Amino acid sequence: MLVQRAIEQAGIPTIIIAALPPVVKQTGTPRATAPLVPMGANAGKPHDREMQYNICKDTLEQLVKIDAPGKIVPLPYEYVAKV
Amino acid sequence: MSYTVVKGMQSEIFAPVTPPPVWAPVKKPLNQMIIAIATAAGVHCKSDERFNLSGDFTWRKVPDSTKPEDLMVSHGGYDNSDVNKDINCMFPYERLHELARDGVIGGVAKTHATFMGGGGNQEKFKNETGPAIAEFLKSEGVDGVLMTAG
Repeated sequence: MLVQRAIEQAGIPTIIIAALPPVVKQTGTPRATAPLVPMGANAGKPHDREMQYNICKDTLEQLVKIDAPGKIVPLPYEYVAKV
Repeated sequence: MSYTVVKGMQSEIFAPVTPPPVWAPVKKPLNQMIIAIATAAGVHCKSDERFNLSGDFTWRKVPDSTKPEDLMVSHGGYDNSDVNKDINCMFPYERLHELARDGVIGGVAKTHATFMGGGGNQEKFKNETGPAIAEFLKSEGVDGVLMTAG
């Protein structure tokens, strides 16, 4: 999050795909999306090209859409890792 | 009547404070933006030095042309099994190539930035690593950054 904030401060807009939305909110993310994923598969299920594509696409669309710092947009994709 | 009985008392419970907002406005439509990945997931080229799992504030450059089989993860802070199966789980650069091909984004940056988040020297991340990555991405002409972490 410190790095996201530093990039944003330098003038480049950023967005993070977060597995732990309360954490990124607390640490001051400018923009985030939150699919239902475990930490370690933030961009989606392994080898699920479609889910990963849609998570990235929706997230990048939110990079443009989010209009206020600190907003976290939930995404309708779910992957439960088998541990 | 004053509610303060003893001055300077503090809660024993750690109460984190959210830092002030940061904001860089988007300047062009998404389909004209060059997008880079910055990830805290500890991804790097196999030819690069591994991250120190007990805390590391250094960062790596990953050329966009790198093949998935030439990438690996060294990060001690999360279950690596998914990302070891498919690097795109945390470093979705192949999905960015498809988004560029489909005209959703303008293009993909030539180089991405990676580091090992979730610990390490927070002052260094804030004052050195973060600004260094930001300057690098700026010099590469990046318009927007997709991050994975947290």
